[in-house]
Amino acid sequence: MKLIISLPKIKIPKITLPRITSWRIWAAMLSIFMAAGATCGVMVLWKGLSLTNLTDLVPWGLWITIDLCSIAVSAGAFSLCAVVYLLRMKRFQPVARTATFIGLIGYSMATMTLMLDIGRPDRFWHSLVYWNEHSLLWEVTMCVTLYLGVLLLETLPIFANIDWLRDRWPRLAGRMSQAHQLAPYLAIAGLALSMLHQSSLGALYGVLIARPLWYRPDISVLFIISAVASGMSLTVFASMLSAWLTRRASVDDHLLDRISQIIGWILVLYLYFRFWDAWSMNYTYQPGRTEGLHLLTDGPLSFNFWVGEILVGIIIPMILLLNKRTRALPLWRMLALLFVVGGVVAYRWDTNISGLMVVLSYLPGDPNISYASYHPSLIEFLVGGGIISYGLLAFSLGVRYLKVVNHYSTVVHVLQPESKAMEQLPVPAGD
Amino acid sequence: MSENKINRRDFLKLATVGVTVLAGSQFLRQPAAASEPGPSGGHKWVMVIDQAKCTGCGYCTLACRAHNDVSPDISWNVVTKTGQVDNQDVYLARPCMHCAHAPCVDVCPVHASISRPDGIVMMDYDRCIGCRYCEVACPYGARSFNWKEFDGPNPAVPEWGQPEIARRPRGVVEKCSFCFQRIDRGLALGLTPGLDQDATPACVVVCPVGARQFGDISDPDSNVSKLLRNRASYRLREELGTSPHVFYLPATEEPLS
Repeated sequence: MKLIISLPKIKIPKITLPRITSWRIWAAMLSIFMAAGATCGVMVLWKGLSLTNLTDLVPWGLWITIDLCSIAVSAGAFSLCAVVYLLRMKRFQPVARTATFIGLIGYSMATMTLMLDIGRPDRFWHSLVYWNEHSLLWEVTMCVTLYLGVLLLETLPIFANIDWLRDRWPRLAGRMSQAHQLAPYLAIAGLALSMLHQSSLGALYGVLIARPLWYRPDISVLFIISAVASGMSLTVFASMLSAWLTRRASVDDHLLDRISQIIGWILVLYLYFRFWDAWSMNYTYQPGRTEGLHLLTDGPLSFNFWVGEILVGIIIPMILLLNKRTRALPLWRMLALLFVVGGVVAYRWDTNISGLMVVLSYLPGDPNISYASYHPSLIEFLVGGGIISYGLLAFSLGVRYLKVVNHYSTVVHVLQPESKAMEQLPVPAGD
Repeated sequence: MSENKINRRDFLKLATVGVTVLAGSQFLRQPAAASEPGPSGGHKWVMVIDQAKCTGCGYCTLACRAHNDVSPDISWNVVTKTGQVDNQDVYLARPCMHCAHAPCVDVCPVHASISRPDGIVMMDYDRCIGCRYCEVACPYGARSFNWKEFDGPNPAVPEWGQPEIARRPRGVVEKCSFCFQRIDRGLALGLTPGLDQDATPACVVVCPVGARQFGDISDPDSNVSKLLRNRASYRLREELGTSPHVFYLPATEEPLS
């Protein structure tokens, strides 16, 4: 007997490493941050909010700020849609399209952050069912939910642009494109809902009599003006950056120049209200309010306030954007727009934290004020970083595959296959 | 293409249906369990805390922890030293103020904080989503969030009493309830809250010096009505207009500014 052992021939597969491109590095980096954020998010859901550095004195922190900011920078969607469909300046339509896509990302970021930030994420639907019409937070929740629906409808035509969707289900893609017919109505709904909740996010703080620094009507006005400025700025900035980095994006610089000028004027309005708001608080001593104001003007938040919010956030970009020569230079314009967004982020952070840091005692007698402190924990940072990375990746994918920054495509929404061509295409059943 | 176009009429139809469904859901929702009036019978419960008597022993906090099964990390009732009168330390105990115009009730997005007709500000722990807006809105710091699960034994039990209500889960806000469970049960048994110990908040019952009184202010002959008629009293941060249901009798006869 012979034992025949035949060894299989081992084929060494040829390993081909994917080519390293800057796009892949970017996507991989964001994915790593997202994975870290998701891991920490699961830990928070599992272990609870004790993993954060939030306390009963400072129960709202970094995540609320991310929430406020991602909603603020999404305000380009409603404002530019209103410009296009209600003021009937149709030429801005491609920019509004970018803004709407950013809006969808921003609101989904806010929803994710909120889900982690509330103590009982399993009960998030309670505010949609058990209405307390007196609560601004209820109003904000309803508006954000409804507006997320509006944004989904508004972005349907963008998603109809996915190549494989158009090949595979052309009729579905056609239907999705047709949601464009609703655009004027959606613009009205978006304007109404956004005017409500963008202001209410400020009013949410402004109605609290327990917090003298917040208890003033101006916050709601400041919130909506700053939101529109930052939302438009992010849209223009992201469009310009995309066009600079990739050939998949193309911009009509004339449109962006016009919008940048408008942002400059919005900043004038914002500075005007901001000035009187801060100035008027300066005159009489009111326990808690004066201390809170001092946190901003000469306390631990003074750098944020003077440099971040006022100088870099308003004055410098206002000059750069209103001056025709600097506005015409892409680098200066982009810098200015980025400053506006940064300034509004600083404003949201300062607004939230300054009101919480001042602890006004309930004890009788002289006003007894102490200060609470808050530094976000590593987990809060990682979750926040993950959510921001999600936003960046979603936008990058949109630029790459959905052509969300494309000012020269005239057939954006009318990608309807001809009816004859449609008959020839195999249409799957149930579609 | 034209048959697929949504015209104005269709849009309005769709919108009407949407709004109707949304509004209809409001009629279908269950009534809030805790917002049912319950046995109020025209009562208005108030607490009167006599700072001249309070020695700052903190028994009230411990009895509260036991009867309401409160975590050692949380105090529904905080006792603070506020100063001295005639070389005697003066303390201020702070339960929930049960404000008539409670900011927490207004701001809660889900009606998890509600004002009962008898003046008690109640929490519905099954409804709270843990957004902590009420905590930010409360001028008295009377609310605590359950940052982590309270598991394991309650160190205040059994020395200071037995738990009478369910322990709150992680992720909801909790606060003093004027021991509503004792009041409601007591009234059902025909007892008088404030006079009968079994129908009176645990902190009032345990106080060794009788610094706390509890009763019905809508009854002019009740213990608290008489006390508030005869003694000078004040409430915390009255200027805010919250109209608390907790009154303090100052340790000094000098009028408070």
